[in-house]
Amino acid sequence: MTETTGTAATGRTVATAPRQVDPPEDRYAAELEFLAAFDDGARPPGWKLTPRAVVTFVVGSERPLSLPQGREREGVPQRRTISEKFVGERALVERCVVTLAGERGLLLVGEPGTAKSMLSELLSAAVCGTSGLVVQGTAGTTEDQLRYGWNYAALLAQGPSRSALVPSPVMSAMSAGAVARVEEVTRCLPEVQDSLVSILSDRRIAVPELSGADSAVHAAPGFCLIATANLRDRGVSEMSAALKRRFNFEQVHPIADIAMETALVRRQAAAVLDRVQAPFTVDDSVLEVLVTAFRDLRNGSTVEGWEVERPSTVMSTAEAVSVAAALGLAAAYFPSGRDVLSLLPGHLLGVVRKDDPADAARLLGYWDGAVRRRAERGGRLWRQVWELRDRLEG
Amino acid sequence: MVAARPYLIGVRHHSPALSAVIPALLDEFRPQALLIEMPPQFARWMPWLGHPRTVAPVALAGSGEPLPFYPFADFSPELVAVRWAVAHGVEIVPCDLPLADAGWGERGSRGPRKNAMADGGPPVPEPAREDLFSRALRRSQTGRDGDDLWDRVVEAPAPGATPEQVRRAALAVGWAMRADEARNGRVAGVDLRREAQMRAVVADQLSRTPDARIALLVGAFHAPALVDGDGVDPAGRKRAAPLDAPRPVPDVTTSLIPYADPLLDSRSGYPAGIRDPRWQAETVRAGGDPARVSSAAVRIAVEVCAGVREGGHPAGPGEAREVVRLTEDLARLRGLPAPGRSEIVEALTSVLAQGEMLGRGRVVAQAMEKVLVGERRGRLAPGTPRSGLGPSLEALLKELKLPNPDQPQRKELRLDPLRSPLDRRREVALQRTQACGIYYALPADVQGVGAAAALTTLWLAEWTPSSAALTEIAGLLGVTLEQASEGTLRRQRERERADGGSTAQQVLDGLLAAAGCGLPGLAADRLDDTARVLPATATLPELLAGLDLLSRLEQNTVPGVAGHALPDLAVVMEEVHTAAIRQVDGLAGSSDRADARALLALVVRHDRLGTGMRLDAALKRLATEGSPLMRGAGSAVRVLLGLDDAAGLGDRAAAWLDLDTPLELAARLSGLLIVAGPLLEAGGDVIDPLLARLELMPDDLFLRRLPAVRGGFDVLTPAARARLLAAVEARLDDRLDLVMTTDPVLLGRWAQADAHALEALRERGLASAVALAPADRWRLVLGQKQDQLQGQAKRYGQALDELYGQGRGEGSGGDLGGPGAGDGPSYPGVREWSEDLTQLFGATVREEVLAAAAAGGRVDAALAIDPASARPSVELLTSVLSLAGALPERTVARLRPLVAKVVSDLTQELSRTLTPALTGLTSSRPTRRPGGPIDLHRTIRANLKTARYLPDGTPTVIPEHPVFRTRSKRTTDWRIILLVDVSGSMEASTVWSAITAAVLSGVPSLTTHLLAFSTDVIDFTGVVSDPLSLLLEVSVGGGTSIATGLAAARELVTVPSRTMVVVVSDFEEGGSIGPLLAQVRLLVDAGVHVLGCAGLDETGAARYSVSVASQLVGAGMPVAALSPLELARWVGEQVR
Repeated sequence: MTETTGTAATGRTVATAPRQVDPPEDRYAAELEFLAAFDDGARPPGWKLTPRAVVTFVVGSERPLSLPQGREREGVPQRRTISEKFVGERALVERCVVTLAGERGLLLVGEPGTAKSMLSELLSAAVCGTSGLVVQGTAGTTEDQLRYGWNYAALLAQGPSRSALVPSPVMSAMSAGAVARVEEVTRCLPEVQDSLVSILSDRRIAVPELSGADSAVHAAPGFCLIATANLRDRGVSEMSAALKRRFNFEQVHPIADIAMETALVRRQAAAVLDRVQAPFTVDDSVLEVLVTAFRDLRNGSTVEGWEVERPSTVMSTAEAVSVAAALGLAAAYFPSGRDVLSLLPGHLLGVVRKDDPADAARLLGYWDGAVRRRAERGGRLWRQVWELRDRLEG
Repeated sequence: MVAARPYLIGVRHHSPALSAVIPALLDEFRPQALLIEMPPQFARWMPWLGHPRTVAPVALAGSGEPLPFYPFADFSPELVAVRWAVAHGVEIVPCDLPLADAGWGERGSRGPRKNAMADGGPPVPEPAREDLFSRALRRSQTGRDGDDLWDRVVEAPAPGATPEQVRRAALAVGWAMRADEARNGRVAGVDLRREAQMRAVVADQLSRTPDARIALLVGAFHAPALVDGDGVDPAGRKRAAPLDAPRPVPDVTTSLIPYADPLLDSRSGYPAGIRDPRWQAETVRAGGDPARVSSAAVRIAVEVCAGVREGGHPAGPGEAREVVRLTEDLARLRGLPAPGRSEIVEALTSVLAQGEMLGRGRVVAQAMEKVLVGERRGRLAPGTPRSGLGPSLEALLKELKLPNPDQPQRKELRLDPLRSPLDRRREVALQRTQACGIYYALPADVQGVGAAAALTTLWLAEWTPSSAALTEIAGLLGVTLEQASEGTLRRQRERERADGGSTAQQVLDGLLAAAGCGLPGLAADRLDDTARVLPATATLPELLAGLDLLSRLEQNTVPGVAGHALPDLAVVMEEVHTAAIRQVDGLAGSSDRADARALLALVVRHDRLGTGMRLDAALKRLATEGSPLMRGAGSAVRVLLGLDDAAGLGDRAAAWLDLDTPLELAARLSGLLIVAGPLLEAGGDVIDPLLARLELMPDDLFLRRLPAVRGGFDVLTPAARARLLAAVEARLDDRLDLVMTTDPVLLGRWAQADAHALEALRERGLASAVALAPADRWRLVLGQKQDQLQGQAKRYGQALDELYGQGRGEGSGGDLGGPGAGDGPSYPGVREWSEDLTQLFGATVREEVLAAAAAGGRVDAALAIDPASARPSVELLTSVLSLAGALPERTVARLRPLVAKVVSDLTQELSRTLTPALTGLTSSRPTRRPGGPIDLHRTIRANLKTARYLPDGTPTVIPEHPVFRTRSKRTTDWRIILLVDVSGSMEASTVWSAITAAVLSGVPSLTTHLLAFSTDVIDFTGVVSDPLSLLLEVSVGGGTSIATGLAAARELVTVPSRTMVVVVSDFEEGGSIGPLLAQVRLLVDAGVHVLGCAGLDETGAARYSVSVASQLVGAGMPVAALSPLELARWVGEQVR
């Protein structure tokens, strides 16, 4: 879902060691700078860009944009195309931006692998210039990580003081008026989640251990919170009603268009192979079979409208990418080996058979139904896939 | 185009924006004639349509094919224009093709359309089309992907715009759509013909009064075609030439009828609808003023929040405010003057639905639908001529020579709709009156020949005053019988949807009704429902019923739609069939013979479609892991399908005879024979090993097995058993011929020696008292030709006949195969029988036979079982308990000792295994792992060695090893609610639930509730520690409503996070699935730990509806078949 753009043209110098992944504010620094110059309309307090420019940054501009007269800046090119970073509905992004502009909490929910986290990174990078103020929610996340902790040595030695206090990313965001992100908020224990309630309603964190002006940290204008939640593993069920009320919920759906999804899978799988300096040689038609199978099993019905029984496993795009990459690696490292297509049923079985043994039976049902019918309709490739059915048995 | 003559107003049939500006446009233009896109036959209704006392929504309808139907609301530009014209005395000229004109049949490459007028608006774009112009227009706008172009370009920017701007925007959209259609070569012939007609009418008007000021109100799509001159109409080159001589206007029936908001909503399935009529009406009322549109949005937000509150979810002014804020900001971000429908829907979803599709999402959707659709009904002005259903129905009945107002007498009609066309029309008409709820005709049952459905029908029809009254009511839904019946059935479908979705049964009923009423459109929709609902929720019997109905449709034996090929019928059949295969997994635990028969019925159909891997795998599991009955059935089915060879099955079945568990043996044989009975009759590989094993068994072993084997063969009908016996006897005779190689004299001596030896053994009690020849053994096993049995053997036969009787089904009348079973003197009482059994078979077998008799409904047999010697088994318990329900208290008292003994034995046994799983709880402790609050005292103590004085003299401790406290978990006060389905028969699961509940109630930190539910819920919490009285009080039977049970369980929940709800059921929900999922969702959302038990017994195999169970898993309730021990472990895990 990401488009690689070089960091060479960035205004900011990134004098760091090579990284596996660049945060979006570095990777797209040039685009951000361009958009800041392009649209100088009214901005909500604390925002680096106008809401409209944030939307453009996330969904991209189809055509090159040109800076209006009199707003040229040094180091910023006159014309520039903003790359498409999030493949999805524009209206969804608009709603997210409007929610943030109203300083309300934004909760992105969706199946795993639907680019929720990426969307939240992009939004926070565009709104406040950093996507780094993030708390990863796990069962072990404590209130300290959402509110504040202590430097225990200093605390024991000198007693409570502002200097012994260790602010959380959320607290840092509050004092800077930036966007804080909480990933997988539903994996935190409910009582830990609830520490966000007072942050979102009172917009301050009380520090009872300190007195005077230090006894509370107030949110600067522009502070807001983006949380993501996975519908599959815990769901939002255990969130308290009080916390839910303080969020606007946006559901992020899997990519609707098969061509887009295939292109994305190809791009990302190629990127994986690129890292090991191998060419991605998997045929487009094989990828299409792969993506089609994933989509059928995910949606519970095929393009043709045939019913498919959905396995309980999530068939996410991310998972399709990893299968495509595995196929690519197999082709690269075992070049004389078998047809790549013949590995596909095994990989699919591996993806499907995660927690429910009945899922394997559902995959058999898929082969009996959709795959067989397609083979009967005369698709050469699908006939090959149908003939590979013995690899699923046993 | 904008400046063209005549003055063009391009509209869409429903358009609030245009409706608001049309009076202003017309006031300014002051036309002398208003030409309007409507068939000329409607002209006579115009004064009534525009009448100031007519209250919208109303509808104009005509007869013809496709049925013309023109609903009008306050936001229909046509209605506004007609009202204006009537008020100003301006002539109204309908300029469309006349109804029933041949031109309507001219099809271009565009597909058939449902309604004539709907094309005034842009058609819904299909994804694959190359729509250059509309794409360009769309790109300049922003909104949701699925949004209508018209909505984005005309409606949303309209508030605050001048009337002229709105008119231009509408014409632009129409032009863009037309240009795209023309580029793709898709302008339909009917459209071109209609436009030619419109041009002709315009020319006619102009020829009469050349300088007349004419306003032309047509669909925006048609507008470019009505302008002269090249370059305006993108489809100009395709224009149809005017007809040489105008065709005469056919005479058709037209009606003006009142209409209602819910029918106007496009989701109601009625033609020419629009989404959310209430919102559209609010927009018209705002009259293009952005501030008033916004305040309408506020009203709607507040009302939806109130609706959500009523649904039991929090939503207050805070949420309403946020909805309004989001609505307005979205509009602002998209550069709109005021929020449109799309913005308000998006905002409501975002703020209120909270990402939950099932629980809260449903409530929000319902509230939105109620508020946005509205509930207004239309009214006709007083004095409007009578029209509609009444007159048309009367005419139809007269034409078909059925009882009618002139000849109301009762008539008996025997119809043969598949042969006679007249009968077919009558049949369809009668079906339709039934569907409309008009009290007129009643069907009588006709017996079909054999198993096939009857092909003729019998009706009693009579015209009564109530027929007339009910016709008036049905008339709201349509102006012809066809329309009204379709309307009623569609309303029914809608109501099902509103109640949480149709159940499988409703879908099938609906499909049958639609097909019977000859409504192919509705039948196709119901077929879609079938493809959607049946695989998702139906049980195996429902799926089989569905397959039956579908094959009737395929064979054209449903009169209404015979001859109409329903699209995708074959695909739907295959889908339903695939779904039925999925259900095979759910049969694994079944002990119901009907399920084995269903399995057979399924695979018989399966032959046609070939064997899939899925079925193969499922059957393999069934044959190896299922209940005894299903193992037998599964093995046999595999042979039928050619997956296993027959000889292998025979060997396996022969080996079963060595099982020393009589119940299991009987069940396996039953399963085998239900499926493969005919296969055995034919002899061959399957039967040989069985024959050999039965014949070679020692006599006493044979007698021990005999009751069970006879029980297994009892599933066959007497006639089938007679045939099988004949086959066996034939084989036995054959074999005798083969072994005559030894000298007959020598053979005779051997036989004599054998007889002597046997005699000697018998005298010493070492051999059983009877010698049974192979043929006699088979007579005993099959319960046939017992009159040929000799001496002792005859008594065995009688003792078993007492249990199994004559048998059921074909030949049970006793007229086949001569005197069979039961002709000897039967026992005067159970005591004699019981004594005889002991004497013949021994005490163990006696208990077993008596238990089987009790299971078969013989109370006296149950009373004869000795509590002291009875083996404690759940099977015995269930059969005795199922008797107890129908007995007087006095008899139950006599059964009590037996039940008490079995229950207490089972409870003791279970509590021994369960108790370890439920003990051992943890408490809070210090830890090095940072997780909880810091434990300062322990930290200082642990780090004292680092203590030192700082230069300024203060002591300091460096906490190298900080110590934290873990969160202590509260382990008390857990509550477990067992929700037990007692709708079916008394099942092992019920018994186990009661016993498990009793054991759980003994655990101190656990409060145990037990609710038994069918369609009602009974709380047995008071007696939960006493399973005996609990089991004796439970009464089984009734429908299944798991949702009701869950609702009752929800009332018991006080602390959700420390409550477990365990549902023990087969998940064959009787009602629709929606409420069930909603209840589950509510529990899960509240944080209750829920678990579905598809079966609770020792085997862990279950019989349940796979489809419903998988939906429940999706809603957050894990479903599994568990043993009580596994359940206790689960409880232990939750508590710990």
